[in-house]
Amino acid sequence: MTETWRLVDLEYREDPFMNMAVEEAIPRMVGEGESPSTVRFWHNSNTIVIGCFQSTRLEVNMEACKETKTEIVRRFTGGGAVYHDSGNLNYAISLRKGHPLVPGQNLQSVFEKLSEGSVQGLRKLGVKAAFQPVNDIQVDGKKVSGAAGSIRWNTIFHHGCILVNSDLRILGKVLNVPKAKLEDRHVASVQKRVTTVRDELGRDVSTREVRDAIVGGIESCYGVRVKSGVLTREELGLAEELFQTKYSRLEWNLEP
Amino acid sequence: MSATKLEKLRSADYKAPGGKLVRIRLKEEQGEIRSVKITGDFFLVPEESLGKLEKMLEDAPLREPELRLLVDRFFRGTGAQGLGVSSDDFVKAILAAKEV
Repeated sequence: MTETWRLVDLEYREDPFMNMAVEEAIPRMVGEGESPSTVRFWHNSNTIVIGCFQSTRLEVNMEACKETKTEIVRRFTGGGAVYHDSGNLNYAISLRKGHPLVPGQNLQSVFEKLSEGSVQGLRKLGVKAAFQPVNDIQVDGKKVSGAAGSIRWNTIFHHGCILVNSDLRILGKVLNVPKAKLEDRHVASVQKRVTTVRDELGRDVSTREVRDAIVGGIESCYGVRVKSGVLTREELGLAEELFQTKYSRLEWNLEP
Repeated sequence: MSATKLEKLRSADYKAPGGKLVRIRLKEEQGEIRSVKITGDFFLVPEESLGKLEKMLEDAPLREPELRLLVDRFFRGTGAQGLGVSSDDFVKAILAAKEV
């Protein structure tokens, strides 16, 4: 029987902290067996989302954030800082541990497998996207999407952001890219090593169009049916609690 | 001379080959690590284990054999999984920390 995944479009575009609380509440409830396999799509307004092991002080240009009214929120997964604006589409997949799609416990395999749906969706739109280990989707060596994830709470969790029509000029301002990273990649700036779906297609494209393409990619790639749904009362309650105790707090977002 | 005067701050940004960035900020006193903060864009599962590694490194001599032993013991003991970073990368990053 074809498995049905719940499709959630719940977002708090102007509240990156609540967005991240929802992002954590879903995999926790999926792991408890209270919620089904879920794919969520969402947006943030100007926000830096920093990896859980990163130092905000080292990675973020605070002055530029103030000038551009960019918020900073820490996520619960590792990986690097990314810049979100409304031209950036976020997706998240939560599957219960042991799900046949990703039977192992290897994070690299999780990234590779659960990026496939997005890769396929982007290719259907005409973007020559390919997965690039460790956690990127690239087009001709330029990053169009980055992923992060975890195996915890009895869940396989994978999320990523896709640069659809983001303002790359702000991205270059608000993130400090360490010299060691640039030297390794032989490129001069963060702006030169990323691209957007709009630039690749040479036309205006909405995040909704990309979302629909990815839903199609997920269905064909994984042989599942994706059906619109909403969060449960428990998920909403947990998200509210995580917002209060974690994501709305400076000590979580700005330290170390 | 007070103990704090002997303390040196060391730091390194170490890029794992083909992997991620490991940023070390540590306090050293007479060749030993007093405290260390490891940050970066790597992946480590379970995420909470990084604090355990930092704790294990406290008072360790800033020498390769001892560090290697400790970091290997951390991975074996916790069953932690690194991605974009290995046990060897953590050791090399710590040893690369220069006085600031």
